Amino acid sequence: MSKILKYISSLILCLVAVYSVQAQKTKTEAKTKIVADTIKTPLFNGIFVQGDLISAVSSLTSKGETYSYEGSLQADFKHKYLPVLELGYAGADKLTSDNIGFKANALFGRLGLDFNMISQKKDKKPTNNLFLVGFRLGMSKFNYNITNVSITDDYWGGSQAVPYNNISTTKVWYELVAGIRVEVIKDIFMGWTVRSKSLISKDDDGNVTPWYIPGFGINNGNANTAINYTIGYKFQLPFKRKSAVKAKKPNTEIKPDAKPDTKPRNNNQQTK
Amino acid sequence: MYHVTVTDTSRTAASMSIDSITVRGLKYDTATKKYSYMDSVLYNNLKTITKIDLPLHSFESASAFEVTFNSNQITTNTVTNKNDTILYLNKRDTLIVTHQNTDKYLSLQCGSVKVHSIDTILTTNNFIDSIRITNRKVSNINVENIKIYK
Repeated sequence: MSKILKYISSLILCLVAVYSVQAQKTKTEAKTKIVADTIKTPLFNGIFVQGDLISAVSSLTSKGETYSYEGSLQADFKHKYLPVLELGYAGADKLTSDNIGFKANALFGRLGLDFNMISQKKDKKPTNNLFLVGFRLGMSKFNYNITNVSITDDYWGGSQAVPYNNISTTKVWYELVAGIRVEVIKDIFMGWTVRSKSLISKDDDGNVTPWYIPGFGINNGNANTAINYTIGYKFQLPFKRKSAVKAKKPNTEIKPDAKPDTKPRNNNQQTK
Repeated sequence: MYHVTVTDTSRTAASMSIDSITVRGLKYDTATKKYSYMDSVLYNNLKTITKIDLPLHSFESASAFEVTFNSNQITTNTVTNKNDTILYLNKRDTLIVTHQNTDKYLSLQCGSVKVHSIDTILTTNNFIDSIRITNRKVSNINVENIKIYK
């Protein structure tokens, strides 16, 4: 009887020890996995230099009525925060059916920040593609001319030309931006963005409003939308490029305080 | 263009109505210093009207109009205790509106228009008793600017 009891108690002890070892092993494996899958993203990941294709193509097809050429510089911090500077040159040379002409051209700039919404999955291959949402603050200072405007008095008779020459203005607007950017070849990215633009500096009723605002587009009141299709190159600093190569081997990076093999073995030994 | 409301309320009459109205623009000849009719008539014997639109001169600071009224007025005769009807036939008054003109830009498609600010209105008193300016700003928005009282 005592032998049976001794046998049962040693069996229970054994089972508890096995369970304990197993639990410890699972815990350690999970910890190791988390450490191994968390790729330490460097603070600075390079600079995108991009050009917009849509504005360039539409400039060619609009026969000079409106034209816009723009590019951007965008830094990549932590692969999450991407401050951007967009610069361009745009203008318009419009003639209405009543021969009223509008002419303007100027440089414009936009400053903003994009957030990459793609989080690097722990169990998936890291991606350089971006899903961006962000905002811009745009500004353009320009002069414009509106020609061939005349007022005719239909009843009393007479006509008067009203010249609007060399009117100087500064327009400020903000944009809400969303888009994707895909690495098509190593370090070469293509993508599109949609933009909702809203004028901050609006005109009062009766002001001689510009028909076109460089960087904002046709001035239909106070809002506008636009699409950009960009192609660009991501420049990376040489030492960052090396660290990026290293980062692509996730299993080699193990947290120093995690010693998966030692503790379970010790526990096992203690139970004996 | 400004809007004139011809009111049918009178200080003495029981009731009054405009049977017809004729409005013509008057151009001033600086050489002869006389007014003459414009070629086109703005309102030609128009019946049962309560509102008229008058175009102000775009390039001069005064606009003159001749308004011809045909009207009847019903008053109560206190002696006979019956209603008397008074007929006003072809009663002519001249309105001279002095105003300031300003350019207003609308859009690239619509161009510019003149807007006005009414300074004063002078009138003869053959039919018209008085005039009240209700809104001095005259623009492309359709609002009442003056009232004519009998």
